[in-house]
Amino acid sequence: MLVEFDLIQKAQQGDASAFNEIVSAYRRRIMGTISHVIGRPEDVEDVAQEVFIRLYFSLGQLRTPEVFEPWLYRLTVNASYDYLRKSRRRIESRMADLSEQQVMMADAVAGSRAQHDDSEKRRVRDTVQELLSAVSTEDRILLTLKEVEGLSLKELEKVYNVNENALKVRLFRARQRVIKKMKEVTGPSSLVAKDKEAS
Amino acid sequence: MEQGKSNDREAHLDELFRAYLEACPNPEPGANFMPNIWARIEAREVSTNWFGRVAKTLVTAALAASLILGMLISSLNQSSAFFNATFVEALRADHASTLEPLHLDRISQLEPE
Repeated sequence: MLVEFDLIQKAQQGDASAFNEIVSAYRRRIMGTISHVIGRPEDVEDVAQEVFIRLYFSLGQLRTPEVFEPWLYRLTVNASYDYLRKSRRRIESRMADLSEQQVMMADAVAGSRAQHDDSEKRRVRDTVQELLSAVSTEDRILLTLKEVEGLSLKELEKVYNVNENALKVRLFRARQRVIKKMKEVTGPSSLVAKDKEAS
Repeated sequence: MEQGKSNDREAHLDELFRAYLEACPNPEPGANFMPNIWARIEAREVSTNWFGRVAKTLVTAALAASLILGMLISSLNQSSAFFNATFVEALRADHASTLEPLHLDRISQLEPE
């Protein structure tokens, strides 16, 4: 916990400065998570503000301060989900433009991360976002939280209120869909080439 | 062979996710981050209050209308003799002529001649 329980209780009672302190403590972490989930740096601040606004209006519903962090994560997931759902059409239209060259470039970037520059980073972001568009918005967020944010299954269990096995199944299926998409985009030839290189 | 390919793909995806983590910048909140949050909270509170007021007014109006209608119906019921009468009385009033006794002296009068 980045803040004390009594600070949360003060904010629940309408203490604006306590709320400000909570926002200051969590804003970087929340913005980081949102950045990974939505992959659009220009919209991160807007979505993060939405998370804290929702926090402000629903803080009174929080009964036990112990679950504050998973609960804040849930608000973050929901706000990101709403953002992604709104921009889904835009993302889908961009998916059609995804070329094999982009994926090959991302592949190369993943292999030699020391040579990153801004445009390559952007390509990696775009590629991963495009690959993630192969799964539903819910699974896309779940996959990002697990694989990119590095949340454990226990932590995800608290965020989603779903048992671990159900999460494992969802994650496995989502990964398979993303891999299938990756195969479609790169084609079998690149995998054969990789195999040859490996042998 | 197929298992090897599958593992290779899995590893490749993990690598891509790691690259993605590094490619995503850690955005710094702008100077107006907090002021903007409060401005948006106030704006939402204003709209929530406005909707609340409208909803409250509508509920009050609906309650008043149903009260007036209720009173109107009950006063109509009280003033009407038809609604106060028993079923038999109402039936008798409606079919007075058909329920009158026949005043026959003999049963043979009913028989056709």
